[in-house]
Amino acid sequence: MNNLNSSATPAAGEYAGDEVSAIVLDPGYSSVRAGFAGEDVPKSVCPSWYGQIDSDSGPQYLFGENAIYRPAPNLQIKNYWGADGVVEDWDTAAKLWEYAITSRLTGTRASDPSKNGLNDDPKENGNGEAMDVNMETIENQEKPLEESPLLMTEPGWNPTKAREKAIEIAMEEWGTPAFYLQKTGVLAAFASGKASGIIIDVGASHTSVTPVLDGMVLKKGVQKSPLAGNFVSNQIRLGFKRSQPEIPLTPHYLVKSKTQVDAGSPAQAVYRTFDTPPTDSFRYYQEERVLTEYKESVVEVWPGPGRLSNGTNEEIAKSMPGRPFEMPDGWNQVFGVDRFKAAEGLFDANAALTDDANPRPKDEHTLPRLVQAAVQHVDADQRPILLQNIVVTGASTLLYKFGDRLNYEINNIYPSTRNKLIAPGPVVERKYAAWIGGSILASLGSFHQLWISKKEYEEQGANIVEKRCR
Amino acid sequence: MASGRDVRDMLGLPMGGDVQKGAVQKRAKVAAPVRRIQGVAREVAALYGERPPPVAVYEAKKAYRAKRQNQGPAKKWVQQPFINQARTDGLVLKHWRRKPTTAPAVQDGEDVPMEEGDNTEPQVEINGDYLKYKIEVDIPTFSDEEYEAHLRSDDWSREETDYLFQVVKDYSYRWAVIWDRYDYQPAHKSHLPQQTANSEASQALAALPFAPPKQRTLEDLKARFYQISAKLMKLRIPEMQMDAEQYATYEMLSTFNPELEGNRKLLAAALMNRSMDEVKEEEFLLAELQRINMAAHRLDAERAELRARLEAPASNQQVSAGMSSFTSSQALQALFQQLFQQDRSKKRASGGSGGPSRISLTTNDLIQTPSSANAQMSAAARRQSMATNQSVQTPIRTLSPQQEYRYNVSTHDRLTSGVTFGSDKLLKMRQAKSNVQTQKIATALAELGVPEVISLPTSKVSDVFEQLIGKVSKLLDVRKVREKEEGECRVLEQMKERRNSEAQNGHVSMSNGTSVEPQAKQEIPDSQEQTPGVDAEGEADDDDNNGADGVADADGDGDGEVEADAEGEEDDEDAEGEEDSRVPSETVSRAASVGHKRSASVLSQGSNKDSKRARK
Ligand SMILES: Nc1ncnc2c1ncn2[C@@H]1O[C@H](COP(=O)(O)OP(=O)(O)OP(=O)(O)O)[C@@H](O)[C@H]1O
Ligand SMILES: [Mg+2]
Repeated sequence: MNNLNSSATPAAGEYAGDEVSAIVLDPGYSSVRAGFAGEDVPKSVCPSWYGQIDSDSGPQYLFGENAIYRPAPNLQIKNYWGADGVVEDWDTAAKLWEYAITSRLTGTRASDPSKNGLNDDPKENGNGEAMDVNMETIENQEKPLEESPLLMTEPGWNPTKAREKAIEIAMEEWGTPAFYLQKTGVLAAFASGKASGIIIDVGASHTSVTPVLDGMVLKKGVQKSPLAGNFVSNQIRLGFKRSQPEIPLTPHYLVKSKTQVDAGSPAQAVYRTFDTPPTDSFRYYQEERVLTEYKESVVEVWPGPGRLSNGTNEEIAKSMPGRPFEMPDGWNQVFGVDRFKAAEGLFDANAALTDDANPRPKDEHTLPRLVQAAVQHVDADQRPILLQNIVVTGASTLLYKFGDRLNYEINNIYPSTRNKLIAPGPVVERKYAAWIGGSILASLGSFHQLWISKKEYEEQGANIVEKRCR
Repeated sequence: MASGRDVRDMLGLPMGGDVQKGAVQKRAKVAAPVRRIQGVAREVAALYGERPPPVAVYEAKKAYRAKRQNQGPAKKWVQQPFINQARTDGLVLKHWRRKPTTAPAVQDGEDVPMEEGDNTEPQVEINGDYLKYKIEVDIPTFSDEEYEAHLRSDDWSREETDYLFQVVKDYSYRWAVIWDRYDYQPAHKSHLPQQTANSEASQALAALPFAPPKQRTLEDLKARFYQISAKLMKLRIPEMQMDAEQYATYEMLSTFNPELEGNRKLLAAALMNRSMDEVKEEEFLLAELQRINMAAHRLDAERAELRARLEAPASNQQVSAGMSSFTSSQALQALFQQLFQQDRSKKRASGGSGGPSRISLTTNDLIQTPSSANAQMSAAARRQSMATNQSVQTPIRTLSPQQEYRYNVSTHDRLTSGVTFGSDKLLKMRQAKSNVQTQKIATALAELGVPEVISLPTSKVSDVFEQLIGKVSKLLDVRKVREKEEGECRVLEQMKERRNSEAQNGHVSMSNGTSVEPQAKQEIPDSQEQTPGVDAEGEADDDDNNGADGVADADGDGDGEVEADAEGEEDDEDAEGEEDSRVPSETVSRAASVGHKRSASVLSQGSNKDSKRARK
């Protein structure tokens, strides 16, 4: 067994970045991150939500924030992700990803204007509104990724079919010379400089707990649960509805102008009117933006010890100073203990607000139980090592005091081991950890032998991902 | 940060004029600040007054950055296609590399536009830098015959064994991962590692009427793999020929016990899954244990220190060599004595009596200036003695006897220099001039039940001990005297008997006389011989000398009984005087020993015969 010594520092030449202008694509439920490997943040971050306007000549797709934030009649906002955390609408997914890559990264090809056909069709330069229309013409021309290998991320539970689909798109539609798929968990660990650990990723649609050993996911231990950012949003909505009087949730696009009002008093704003009001899905998505703002500035996680419902904890929470929030229409309020309740359901199923549409979450979907289950499925010898490297990632972990609570919960389950949370401070590192890990990986000279090349793909077919990316 | 020069360089602007201008400006500014301080800075400078500013001010411009060496135009970079040698499929990727300068430098300027126009494809580079990371693990292999002959197992099919070896290879012996990914589907007839759970496939499988695949534990996998590895190893290299390392591996492989391993893991898991209360309890107990241990250690250390204080002088004095043994006054005195003896014996050897002695002989000298006595004496000891001298000079407050008793204050007419240990003193008292005498004292004390080491040798204890020793030695002396008297009585009786028998037959005395004669002769040269002899054991030597003298005395006096009385008195004096100072007591005891010897010589028949003959 010849193992490289992992504790010794590599010789100067062995850090060996070797940048081959690879592109890293990290699609998530709420946003798609794309950028060149070797850079430290993704240059292109675009919502996974897209706009669709159905017309007689077929559906028209809108990608990117600028396009989908503008209210338009019959504009529907959709997401290509399925409820189970797997891409559902592959066609749109491919278009949206391509938009994310071409709009900011490869874009106009400066190298050879005579060849790439961009000069023939100036519309291509736009923000992709006409993408589908142009697909046919582009087909004959150069493919968008001909120059760049592509490293894509996938959730830990991605089924074989989805993986094969991904390499198909990359190879055939985009013409990438080389491709690789890596799990978000592994990459998030790499971003924190760890090859082994437990990665807790609380995103938008799913929370996942992934045990990783030596850069390989331990599949039996991967846990996922729907209690994540969207769940917190729904909790906030429920909380707003339950509150007396009900808290109005008015998205930005409805407000023309607003005047300042006292806390708690009704808003005095001038509202916009529409001939044909935007669809419900548009409104929902816009509300979601307000809720994300609310999450960022008001929602707080009860830091422990104990749950919020334990003993006098709620009394203590009540006595803490509140946090103010102002809606787009000027309505404002200082939020007291209610702000703790929105996220408590992530840790304590009993504390979740429920109604017909939002049933009580399952106990085994709460974070402590997920961690416990993940650890349980790992070989006993590796458990302490993993617990020493608990990497926290995903934008929903930015909730105030989230780390404190998680720390308490884990120490509560495993009081006898040395548990260490690795939660990078900078927001960017927390939000884009998987992308950053991919950026590191794809810019390493030693990684280039792992790429699945176009030749290999053509020889062995799409199933090669199963053999090579494991 | 790009300097102006870099920017200019990139933009291809001329460099000369600007650079010079910049340099001129810099020089002007460096000269300026002495005179031209303005605004707030001037007022601040005024506040400093005469003193220089507390912080040295450096000019921001002076960045310590290496000057760009190359003055020419920016180097060209190209996207260099390369083939990674670690790959087998010849994938060509591109990375940025400096454009290799092929043309001579002079022509460079002209060539550049041409080359850009050419757009010639650069050569594909062959890159072997990362070949070293292409690592394949070594996996034992076996042929079909070998499998049939040695490796069959009831529990494992050939297919599953192959699958296991493939997985081990795929995951490079990372057993935790191997176990995680191990998913053998007997239905798959293919040898390909279809380990990933293809959801449809597994569903289809579940529907089939096959028995579900066996759930293997990590230990099962390891056991099978190790067992096969060990067997193969033995087949390849016979046990006898294995070197140490190979044998160690072989032994490890063949002794792997899955049950033990499994139990160990169960225990490890149980340890991890302890509840908070259990952990707290353990922590508490551990803390308690540590506390107890620490207390025990401290107690031990304290006891050891106390014991060391009580025992150290006794045990150390004789053993430890070097200067450290001369730190007590007794030791110094002993040293002095030794040197004194040597000196004296040398003097005798040379026969000279008037020669200046190397060491001053007066006891006064010894006490008052110990440093003069011995050049070797350590500085530390000197300092000690000086300190003692100083303390003598301090005025003494008089205390009432009760107070003296209460505070344990004692006054001395004369203090010996240096620090002495009470136990030292006690030890000294036990020692007499000769070893025989010392032993006698020791047995006497042992009989009385006085321990070897007396802990807490306070002055009172030592006073009492001194009295006791005095009495003991008195007793011993008395006993000695008695023995001597008895001996003489016996001699006289014998003489009387002999005289009677001589009177009866005269020729017998003749034969007796001849036999005795050589004895007497022997004794005289003996004493002469020994006088000049330099002897380390000065005491025995002295005694002999004195003994010789004593014989002469005895001859002169001719009477034993008178002497015995005198001896007794002397011994008494001896015992009493010992406390005051060693040297006088020694002289006295020597005198006493002279007495003993004399009596001893009287005991010898030969000398008696001599004297008798002389009388005859
Ligand atoms: N500062 C913040 N505090 C709390 N929540 C935030 C913050 N910023 C973003 N979020 C929430 O985080 C979620 C997005 O997280 P992230 O970008 O990690 O998800 P994703 O990777 O796109 O989705 P998934 O991992 O589920 O596929 C959204 O629900 C958003 O509301
Ligand atoms: Mg995510």
